[in-house]
Amino acid sequence: MSASPSSAIASRGFASTDPELAAVDASVRWPVMICFLTSIHWMVVGTVLLVYASSMTHPQDSIPILGLFIDLSQYCSFFTYGRVWPAAIDALVYGWATTAGLGLAVWLLARTCRTAIFARGALIIGVIFWNIGITIGLSGIFIGDSTSVELLEFPPYATWVLWLAYALFAVPMVATYLGRKPGQDHLAQSWLLVALLAFPWLFATGTTLLGNRLMPLSLNTNGFADASWSGSLPGSGVVQELVSAWYVHGIFTLWLAPLGLALLYYLIPKMSGLSIRYASKAQVAFWTWLIFAPWTAVHDLVGGPFPADTVTIGLIFSGLIFIPVALIGMNLVGTALAGEARQGHHGGVVFPFLTLAAFVFVAAGISEQILSIRSANQLLRFTLFRECNLFLWVYGFFSFAAFGAMYYIVPRLLNFGWRSALLIKAHYYASLYGILLVLALLGFGGVMQGLALENPDPHISIATATTTVTLSYYIATTMCLSLISIGNGIFALHLGWMLLDWLRLQVRRNRLASEILLEPYEAPAPAESSKEVSA
Amino acid sequence: MSFMPPFRTFFFLVLALFLFNWVVLVVFPWTTLGHQAPIKDEGSGDLAPWDTSGAAHQGERVYAADGCVYCHTQQVRSASSGADIIRGWGTATDASDDKKQVIRRTYPRDYIWQHQVFLGNSRNGADLSNVAERFPDAAALYRYLYDPYVLNDHSSMPAYRFLFVTQKISGQPSVDALNLTGADAPPAGYEIVPTPGAKSLVAYLLSLKKNYHLPDENGPVPATPANKS
Repeated sequence: MSASPSSAIASRGFASTDPELAAVDASVRWPVMICFLTSIHWMVVGTVLLVYASSMTHPQDSIPILGLFIDLSQYCSFFTYGRVWPAAIDALVYGWATTAGLGLAVWLLARTCRTAIFARGALIIGVIFWNIGITIGLSGIFIGDSTSVELLEFPPYATWVLWLAYALFAVPMVATYLGRKPGQDHLAQSWLLVALLAFPWLFATGTTLLGNRLMPLSLNTNGFADASWSGSLPGSGVVQELVSAWYVHGIFTLWLAPLGLALLYYLIPKMSGLSIRYASKAQVAFWTWLIFAPWTAVHDLVGGPFPADTVTIGLIFSGLIFIPVALIGMNLVGTALAGEARQGHHGGVVFPFLTLAAFVFVAAGISEQILSIRSANQLLRFTLFRECNLFLWVYGFFSFAAFGAMYYIVPRLLNFGWRSALLIKAHYYASLYGILLVLALLGFGGVMQGLALENPDPHISIATATTTVTLSYYIATTMCLSLISIGNGIFALHLGWMLLDWLRLQVRRNRLASEILLEPYEAPAPAESSKEVSA
Repeated sequence: MSFMPPFRTFFFLVLALFLFNWVVLVVFPWTTLGHQAPIKDEGSGDLAPWDTSGAAHQGERVYAADGCVYCHTQQVRSASSGADIIRGWGTATDASDDKKQVIRRTYPRDYIWQHQVFLGNSRNGADLSNVAERFPDAAALYRYLYDPYVLNDHSSMPAYRFLFVTQKISGQPSVDALNLTGADAPPAGYEIVPTPGAKSLVAYLLSLKKNYHLPDENGPVPATPANKS
């Protein structure tokens, strides 16, 4: 027997030391790993598409190699900006964030309930259908069936698949929760349940009211009487845009944010060994978030052709979002900082991701707070600031929470360590500076664009506003996104490397096991495992 | 740590909060805006707004498929809530004989005939509520879609050349053929013509014109022509 297989075996030991939790982790291994792997695939696809779409907003002659991209987008309808951009955002929101979020939710629910997940096979079928649905939806966008409704661009023939897939996820999960061991209550569960209940409500309503407009309404082409009839169809006229705004902000504030917060409320105390600071405020924070946060929808309605009352009520409610944001910030940032004070900044290579996620949550909350001020909203609502807001939620807050959680979870599922601490740090710093650049350049660029667009000088046209002010910020957007994509690429490659080594270990272990059957057993040599790092 | 009420209480509380938001944000506006009808002008008997052509409705699909909405809005805010009017996005010339200018914000009633409403959330490009006012005819729009850089060297708008085909001239040149010069010009004996998709898109864009008054929202029609800005 050679020394290397035995040392590889001896170096294993990443599973939870609590045998009950180890058994729970083992029960969800495959559904969760399939979610993670496919979500990372979509993250890479979405990031590449996003950088490509962003580079197309540059002037034609700015970078030589762009000429090729731009020619492609001019002559081939697949690659035009208006198809690549929504495809990129959908790949990130549904392919990356939602798929990863489902996997993380399965793991977290099983963990906090301390029970094996119910109907594991349904979850695996669910994630397969979910990915099929996303593939169909993205293809639909590229071939020109996009509905151009923000975050609901997938054509109706794809949304049914996604619906079915989600049901295959949610039903076993709620069943697992209801069948949990008595006394297993955790605050993370309430955030998780809100997310699991909100998503079907949002997705079903959004697709039903907005997704079926591909069908031509021939009824209202022949006269006055039909006008009121077509006006009474679900989601017609400007009501469509109300539903759309409600949906978009619901996805951020009732689906992605609760998922990420559930992870942070579970993992930050778990990894730092400290209890949540100001824990008595956590429940107030939860309910006030549910009351105020969905009203951020009116940020897309201010000044538009909508009833003034609705907008005013919405601004009042969303203007109070600082209450839950501040309380959650006290809980999470407070605990994370206390944890870092105890362990030092790199006490763990993974913990900084969670600290960063907590900080970015507060930053995203502040950007929502800024948008709920009417005059600030007038200045910023059609500018890059809105993109900044979107990236803060999806790339900033949710992605960092998910990365931190994956760095923690995957070793426990596979009982196998990450390969390199250096790669984790590289991922961390690329993401950190990427998101700081998003904040600095897109946030500031949004203000500059807003000042140009809202300038009372009538001689300023959209052409001068774009050429003199905004153009440099388009290039800045591509820079930020490129930096983030480098970080994401490092993460994807690192996970690939880890899986490859894990598979090699499995093969070796099997070979070893067959040798052991033939040979008498020898005690393995002491381990020398400095290469792998524990999360 | 027991944070949670029983599941049933929790479920109904969450549902009630969702519903509260939904009712105020969607159901209430729907009851007030979902059944609006055009307004009949007492003098001429015209209805405003009036439905656009079938080609324009097909153009909505092209507009959606190619994602114009990701850079262009179709909403003009009032003078008190933005500089849209100052940018000239709310200006349209009345179709009637006196050619008065209508300068106003957009109202929910303006959108009742559209199968899909594209209000938009980004102004990387100009507002298109009155785009027909700024482009006099289809030929100018075809030219712009084919090559946006003719108007602005640093335009961030992509060219939509896939909406056009180059074909050999057989007999008479097509009436729709683009009048191109310089580097864009087709080889001799060939012409560049819009596809059906481009034609319906342009029909849609030419239908975007808020050149009528809505007395219920905007007050009575002003007696004197509005000042030109």
